Amino acid sequence: MRVSLQWLSEYVELAIDAYELAERLTMAGTAVEGVEKLGNELDGMLVGRVLEVTPHPHADRLRVCRVDLGERSVDIVCGAPNVRPGMLAPVAPPGTRLPDGSTIGEAVIRGVASKGMLLSERELGISEQAAGIMELEEAAEPGFPLKKALGAEDTVLVLEVTPNRPDCLCMLGMAREVSAVTGARMRRPHFQLKEDDPPAADDVRVDIIDSDLCSRYSARLIEGLEIAASPWWMRRRLRAAGVRPINNVVDITNYVMLETGQPLHAFDFDLLKDGNIIVRRALAGESMVTLDGVERRLSPEDLLICDPRGPVALAGVMGGEHTEINEATTRVLLESAHFDPANIMRTSRQQGLSSEASYRFERGVDPSGCARAADRAAYFMRELAGGRIRRGVIDARAREIAPLRLSFRVERASKLIGIALEAKEARRVLQSLELEVTAEKAGERGAVLEVEVPTFRPDLEREIDLVEEIARIHGYQNVPSTLPSSSARVGTLTPGQRFKREAARVMCGLGLHEAVTVSFISEAWMDRLDPAREWLPRFPVRLRNPLSEENAVMRPSLLPGLLEAVRFNVNRRVSDVHLYELGRVFLPQEGEALPREPLMLACALAGDWVPKQWSGDAEAVDFFTLKGIMERMASSLMVQEFSLQREELPFLHPSQSCAVLVKGEKAGFMGTLHPRVCDHADLPRNIAVMEIELSLFEAARLEPHFREIPRFPTLQMDLAVVVDEEIEASALEKAIRETGGELLYEARLFDLYRGEQLGEGKKSLAFNLVFCAMDRTLRDEEARASFEVIVTALRERFGARLRA
Amino acid sequence: MAAEKVNDQERDNPEMVALREEALAALSKAASLAELEEARVAFLGRKGKLTSLLQGIKDLPPQDRRRAGMMANRLKGWLEQAIDEREKELRRMELEAGLRGERLDVTLPGRHVTYGSRHLISSIIEEIEDIFIAMGYRVAEGPEVELDYYNFEALNTPEWHPSKSLQDTFYVDASAVGREDVLLRTHTSPVQIRVMESTSPPLYVIAPGKAYRHDVPDATHSPMFHQVEGLAVDERISLADLKGTLEFFAKRMFGEDRAVRFRPHFFPFTEPSAEVDVSCIICGGKGCRVCKGTGWLEILGAGMVDPNVFGYVGYDAERYSGFAFGMGVDRIAMLKYGVPDIRYLFDNDLRLLAQF
Ligand SMILES: [Zn+2]
Repeated sequence: MRVSLQWLSEYVELAIDAYELAERLTMAGTAVEGVEKLGNELDGMLVGRVLEVTPHPHADRLRVCRVDLGERSVDIVCGAPNVRPGMLAPVAPPGTRLPDGSTIGEAVIRGVASKGMLLSERELGISEQAAGIMELEEAAEPGFPLKKALGAEDTVLVLEVTPNRPDCLCMLGMAREVSAVTGARMRRPHFQLKEDDPPAADDVRVDIIDSDLCSRYSARLIEGLEIAASPWWMRRRLRAAGVRPINNVVDITNYVMLETGQPLHAFDFDLLKDGNIIVRRALAGESMVTLDGVERRLSPEDLLICDPRGPVALAGVMGGEHTEINEATTRVLLESAHFDPANIMRTSRQQGLSSEASYRFERGVDPSGCARAADRAAYFMRELAGGRIRRGVIDARAREIAPLRLSFRVERASKLIGIALEAKEARRVLQSLELEVTAEKAGERGAVLEVEVPTFRPDLEREIDLVEEIARIHGYQNVPSTLPSSSARVGTLTPGQRFKREAARVMCGLGLHEAVTVSFISEAWMDRLDPAREWLPRFPVRLRNPLSEENAVMRPSLLPGLLEAVRFNVNRRVSDVHLYELGRVFLPQEGEALPREPLMLACALAGDWVPKQWSGDAEAVDFFTLKGIMERMASSLMVQEFSLQREELPFLHPSQSCAVLVKGEKAGFMGTLHPRVCDHADLPRNIAVMEIELSLFEAARLEPHFREIPRFPTLQMDLAVVVDEEIEASALEKAIRETGGELLYEARLFDLYRGEQLGEGKKSLAFNLVFCAMDRTLRDEEARASFEVIVTALRERFGARLRA
Repeated sequence: MAAEKVNDQERDNPEMVALREEALAALSKAASLAELEEARVAFLGRKGKLTSLLQGIKDLPPQDRRRAGMMANRLKGWLEQAIDEREKELRRMELEAGLRGERLDVTLPGRHVTYGSRHLISSIIEEIEDIFIAMGYRVAEGPEVELDYYNFEALNTPEWHPSKSLQDTFYVDASAVGREDVLLRTHTSPVQIRVMESTSPPLYVIAPGKAYRHDVPDATHSPMFHQVEGLAVDERISLADLKGTLEFFAKRMFGEDRAVRFRPHFFPFTEPSAEVDVSCIICGGKGCRVCKGTGWLEILGAGMVDPNVFGYVGYDAERYSGFAFGMGVDRIAMLKYGVPDIRYLFDNDLRLLAQF
């Protein structure tokens, strides 16, 4: 909404400057997005009086004008047909910049010196009118700056009106608001309507068929109009408001809409059949051509203005082409109606057609304002377009929309706002907004005001709405700052939330960078990872209206996002990528509207874990880099019984693919990405990945418990055994721990060896064993005996032999 | 040093005095352990000078032997100790000389240690959480895939509201369960409703998380973004409490010298409502490009919980009042760290991640 301050000052005194006003309006809820200064494009131009017009000696169609510029007179060569002695016209002296960007110079035109230019409206950039020099209507002295003479100097506030305040979409509404925030008195326009017989009702009839969508339809008939341009002051105000002037009749409807907020429409009465307006829903299959020349297919929910032949306007949105005001129009039927906001919004959406009228109707127009707006427009048509107003308004009222009455408890408002509000102050604020306080009663806890809400404020429906009015006019800046007084609260994280934070910290500490990837993935990623949908959900959570197919699926795994991030970095020559992400995935649940959204922790490692350095070689990421990270993570987070178990997943290298187990339960996967996936996704090979459901890790968490530390000397022995290749290290270690007895304190695998002398299909694993007793110094023989038990067990269970 | 303690008796024996002087000179002349060994052999070796002298004692007249023997032994003891000390000194010097030869270029980079980092969004969310936890709030969570009821209806958003359109909200294809009202939450506000449904007042919670809007990505829009929602419901909660709470937050988050400004605004689920500005963290309020010359940055939407919302969750709006607020985490992160484009936040470029 654009508000010309010059125009606004007609309705309310503006004692403060534009910036101060902008600040006050902003702080009262109508945000001012910009302050525009108008008229600067006319800088340097002057008012000139044409003194004398003589023919040009060398050109038939040119004339030489003697122009009085106040302090001096100059000769200007001009080709316009309408120059005549005595006229007042805009003059651009040499050196003036025109709105189109060109600069006027001193010119010699066919041998005659021309010191400047007489200007048309088009050259001034104020209309398309180029046929002649603009005639200045207002009394002005020659030599007077043009922008002052035209009243073009103006300031426009560009307002952001919130959708709940339709009353602020007009000058009078803004004047009311300005009056409330500044205390200045409002001045309503006064005008006297002169009507002529016979009564309009003789020729006009209005039938509201669908009264649920149209509560009121006021019509006036104006005759004897002469279509022309409207006066300069009106065009200037329309332009300042961002509305293009068209002709006097159309401009008047727009002007009155901007003044009162009531959208109006003018029909060429002679093109309406039988002078009969019918307000009804569209029929099935009906269509019409609107003013913009578009044929509109209508649905039975669209409200139409019709004559007995058919539609003449899409109600509240746009008029029809057939009954449009044209050069030949002399009789106008003026429509000023009230339509159902939701219906107008629906039609406007569905037709993809928004207008100044629909914008206002869908937010809510004052149902009581119809007749007055029609009168105002009729008044202007008589004053500015020579019309005769036929007596009376045809005022079809289908329903009465009465002002609402609300009770307002002063004490309640005080409590909610946190100020000590007095009944007197509340009354003052409400009245400044033209809310009528009809009574004041003593309630249980102080005064109760009975408030009548005028119909132009459809947003005020409840007591709380009045509380808001009090708060914003009182000024949020005048509300104190306090903290809630109750102290009975404890701020804390849940164990799960704390675990999540710890997990994040541990991952960072282990050398991974946290990624945040978007939750949408493509079906193509699903196919790439798991074409047969053995592991990913067969029917993932899909969007009905994705931005693109690339973003159509809500991720069932963090993996695609992380791999995209790997690719993003690798493509930018950052090849060592160590990422983790903590985020939710979306898994559909049978028969449920909402998916399950478990919090997952995932990692992707690519490139080198340790880069090539001056002190050593690079160490490439591999399966065991990530396994080491996971082991450390599990132990740092006190997660018990973490292990990996061989399991082939469709997107992992078949020999390096595992399920992650905690306490024997599957919590996720870990492995190396299948080279097929790498190639298909344009990723480097050897990417180690894992993903776990964090809550399962949390469930496996144990409070740390003290374990006795040996106080007597320990004995260390190395055990190297040769076993078949298939025997897994973890099985050996488990057997060692089981059979080592009380004296075995620690067992750690420290070497893996394969070689010819061991034989085909054999490997050697070496463990460092630590023996001790808690109550005495252990003797060699005791440790040795325990060692032998272990060796025997390994031989029996795994066919292991001691390596020499 | 023992060499200083020469007693008078020794002076009686010029031969011993001379030997002592000679040994002293030889020891200090020895510049290496090998030379010291030579000196030791020269005096204390089998044919050494002191050894010879000791052997010569038995040839002295008996009345002199005892005294000479005592003196010679004392001299031997002194000499052994002196050699020992000189050896220690030489060893120390040798170690020192060796270490000096092991000179490093201390400007070489240190050995690589892998390091990680938190994403700046996570850091900001934790920072916000901690400020509110300190004020007695708990952290609540809710689903990202939501029902219309929680995202719009129970938040008092009218059925025809423009934000519900397919151009503004992502809807989920839930045809399998025959529903059309499943969507990606457009704000974290539905968590308010879920918390109130499951908890009785008083309650003080914040709810951080992801939200989604049907926006084509550009420098300031992302279809996925992050918000932190806040909700306090208690007896006697006022607009003044909301102001105080958010001022406290803004000063903690952006600095003690930040001013906070509350402008009336409109949201369907709060009344009265406010937009909250913080004095520009770039220019401090003087006006710059980031704040578009206004000196203010809008960072929050807030207001008093609308009684209609209490109606949906069965709270007594006469007894309880509350405030709610929501802030855009991505915008705060961008402002706080000077990130110019929201898309950078989700590219996960390591050159950016490693900066935080
Ligand atoms: Zn700034």
